Amino acid sequence: MIISVKDLRKVFTKERREVVALDGFDLEVLESEFVCLLGPSGCGKTTVLRIIAGLESKTSGQVLVHGKEVASSRPRVGMVFQEFALFPWRSSKKNVEFGLEVRHVPRDGRSKVADKYLDLVGLSGFAEAHPHELSGGMKQRVAIARALANEPEVLLMDEPFGSLDAQTRNLMQRELLRIWAATRKTVLFVTHSVDEAVFLADRIVVMTARPGKERESIEVLLPRPRDRTSPEFIAVRSRVLSELDEEFEKARARELSHSPEVKNNA
Amino acid sequence: MNAILKWFKKMPRSQWKLILLVASILLFIGVWYAVSWWTELRDPVQGSLVPPPDEVASSFYWLLSNKDRATGIYLFQHMFTSLERVFLGFALAFALALPSGLLMGRSWVAEGLARPIVEIFRPIPPLAWAPAFLIIFKIFWGPVAVVFLGVFFPILFNVMLGARSVDRTLIDAARTLGARRSDVFTKVVLPYTVPYLMTGVTVGLGIGWMCIVAAEFVSAEGGGLGYFILANSDFGYYPEMYAGMVLIGILSVLTTGLAGLFEREVYKRMGMD
Amino acid sequence: MARNLLLAAVVAVAAVVIVGAYAATVLMREDNGGSVNYLRMPPATMAASLSGGGIDGYIAWEPFVSEAIVGHTGEVLFWSEDIMPEHPCCVVAVSQDFLDQPNGPEVTKRFLKAHLEATQWMVDAMADTTSDEYALLKTLAMEFTTRNESVVEEALKHLEFRYAVDAAMLSGLETFVDMYIETNQTTLAAVQGRGYGSVEDLVVTYVNETYLEGAVSVAPASSPLTPVVRAGYLLGDLHQLAYYVAWNGRVLGGEQSLFQKYGVVVENASGAPYANGGVVMDNFAGGNVDIGYLGAPPALIKHITIGTKIVIVAQVNIEGSGLVVRSGSGIQDIEDLVNRTIATPGETSIQHLLLKIALDREGLDLVLKT
Ligand SMILES: Nc1ncnc2c1ncn2[C@@H]1O[C@H](COP(=O)(O)OP(=O)(O)OP(=O)(O)O)[C@@H](O)[C@H]1O
Ligand SMILES: [Mg+2]
Repeated sequence: MIISVKDLRKVFTKERREVVALDGFDLEVLESEFVCLLGPSGCGKTTVLRIIAGLESKTSGQVLVHGKEVASSRPRVGMVFQEFALFPWRSSKKNVEFGLEVRHVPRDGRSKVADKYLDLVGLSGFAEAHPHELSGGMKQRVAIARALANEPEVLLMDEPFGSLDAQTRNLMQRELLRIWAATRKTVLFVTHSVDEAVFLADRIVVMTARPGKERESIEVLLPRPRDRTSPEFIAVRSRVLSELDEEFEKARARELSHSPEVKNNA
Repeated sequence: MNAILKWFKKMPRSQWKLILLVASILLFIGVWYAVSWWTELRDPVQGSLVPPPDEVASSFYWLLSNKDRATGIYLFQHMFTSLERVFLGFALAFALALPSGLLMGRSWVAEGLARPIVEIFRPIPPLAWAPAFLIIFKIFWGPVAVVFLGVFFPILFNVMLGARSVDRTLIDAARTLGARRSDVFTKVVLPYTVPYLMTGVTVGLGIGWMCIVAAEFVSAEGGGLGYFILANSDFGYYPEMYAGMVLIGILSVLTTGLAGLFEREVYKRMGMD
Repeated sequence: MARNLLLAAVVAVAAVVIVGAYAATVLMREDNGGSVNYLRMPPATMAASLSGGGIDGYIAWEPFVSEAIVGHTGEVLFWSEDIMPEHPCCVVAVSQDFLDQPNGPEVTKRFLKAHLEATQWMVDAMADTTSDEYALLKTLAMEFTTRNESVVEEALKHLEFRYAVDAAMLSGLETFVDMYIETNQTTLAAVQGRGYGSVEDLVVTYVNETYLEGAVSVAPASSPLTPVVRAGYLLGDLHQLAYYVAWNGRVLGGEQSLFQKYGVVVENASGAPYANGGVVMDNFAGGNVDIGYLGAPPALIKHITIGTKIVIVAQVNIEGSGLVVRSGSGIQDIEDLVNRTIATPGETSIQHLLLKIALDREGLDLVLKT
């Protein structure tokens, strides 16, 4: 077991008001497993990833990566963001080298590793290009290469393809599976798209509305490459959708009950 | 006729810009002549108080190889003195404003501590300090200190703004890649701030020139262009005075132009064209 | 590529210019053999600069000399009368435009009558330092210069107010113009270009005594005469105290000032008081000043160089400037000034000219501190 989260609770204090983002959240991810995290907006998916990555502190509970408590040692995880988060002043290659640079890997070694991962994501021809010269899909490939170049134990991906057009998105999903197959990294992937989750995941974890916890864990046993039009695919999709719909309803109901506040904010 | 019109229409934007530049310079010189003639006409006995461009140009030429009558040294010595002080004041301001700006932009403790002091000093025009600095920092460093103040705040505030607006996800990305606080500072915050820094530098240089001239009006070791202008004005050597003013204009265009080129180069190196 | 070349070229040219200028400037800096360094500085900051160590000495008008004496920061190396006895100092000048107005000459005479009486009152007050008038004079001097009693008292000892146009004044002005010609700061051709046959001709024409002579017979007026006089004068210059005395009601023991007594309406010209005589001349040229108090040399040089149309109508004071050196600087005579830095009120000021004359006699040059 590479990720083990038990009874996680996270409370944000926002303008003196407490927001319980996560409460009693449990999650276990196995080595080399591809897990998708689905849930209504604001249920705490991003928060889970950030806590696992050590970017955010937890309020209580236990978060282990490779058996080690996250709070005491920053785990070696790679994170890919929806906004790409590339350094605009660095070329693709220099972006990929960033993690190695801060770990003081010598120049030659850095260059070799960066070339390897740029090649893996199919961007060897764009090593010297700067982010503003790349398309959205290419940017996300650089970001993935950058995360992998650090040889992380886990790859955390927060809606990485959320801002891409449908075609690029499908292409990137296939690419990601190829890369995953080549590296056998453990992937924890947050998405809003049920279709994407069913296409990618070994297992889909559906979260409840806020405060988020695990509602259901659904194994996707379909062989890869998956056919989005196959009846089996559609069956899994329907199942996940219905689980989600209930949570959406709950979230909406709660929002309505808070409607005065909502109006105030609007 | 039509052919000429067509030729004009086909001309690329860059050529148009060149034509406009020449036209604007010619217009300026024309207006200058007109003003000069007008003041001459108004008072033929006293003569023009605004010497025409050619007279200024020939006095500029004369000053290249002759010691100035008002101060007894060469114009280029004045020029160098001013350049030296602008450079020193600028370098000091840069060296201090950059780290302070970064710190104030990234740490609320630093900002809370420094902001009130900065806000007290900021609204005081740097020129108001000229006499005080002359006494405190003496005749060489006094004017430099005025330039320092003039350059310091634009850089400080731009850098602070830049450091404060650093994209959060860039910092998060750096941290997940194993960057420590110091790495985040030097490899993320600093480069992110460079465009803001360059804006501050360009604005600061312009203010720096204004400051040095005005500070030299008060007093300054080795003269300087401000000193040169005032001394020549006292004697009524107006062509020389205007030549000094034109030289300041040229120098300040050159230095800000150089800063602009440098800025573009930095952007290109950083891939932020 | 082309842009890179351009950039390289610009940087290279800039580098050559800067390095070249630097090299030349540094080389020239060593070439200061038998000369004294000077630096223009506003007199009001001189005493503070002296005690701060920025300069080794300064030459200025009163009360800035006495300020250093009283404050024990400096000692007087010489007074201006040691260089040129009875040298003219400040003068009253009137713009030709003002004289060309219908009542211009008459108002000028009335103004001069007040100036004359004010000057006489000061001379009388100073003759008896136990008198009430002397006490009032000190008060007015303190107000005018914003300096304290001991500074003012010391300064008054070194002043001589004199309105009359006399031979010493005319020969002094001639010396000044000769000096400007000698140092190539103007030429005899320029003097002749203004319509004067010689320097002597310039001085006797430029100084017009008729208004002062006419002033003697001006009687107190029951009603003021226009035009209003816009007067220019220098900041904190004790030499020009006559202006403040004529303007002030307390001198006649009542509400009425000397200007009012003779029916002339005087107001400060916009921007007055000014920093130095050059600025007064600029304001004459710009039509902002009708009657002005200023040092004789700036009045002379700008009349020659740019033809500012004014005439000198009276004296204000003679002598009354001094060269101050820092206490303990070891400067005991003029030769000791070599390689020291002396502040002057500006290249066209009378003090600058006097310092130049004094050094000239010892074979020393006065060069800008670089
Ligand atoms: N830094 C913060 N300060 C205060 N509240 C926060 C903070 N970050 C998140 N929250 C709150 O915590 C809750 C969970 O946020 P989170 O971003 O983890 O949700 P999410 O599931 O990723 O939502 P989405 O699907 O919209 O991305 C939300 O209500 C959010 O407003
Ligand atoms: Mg999120």
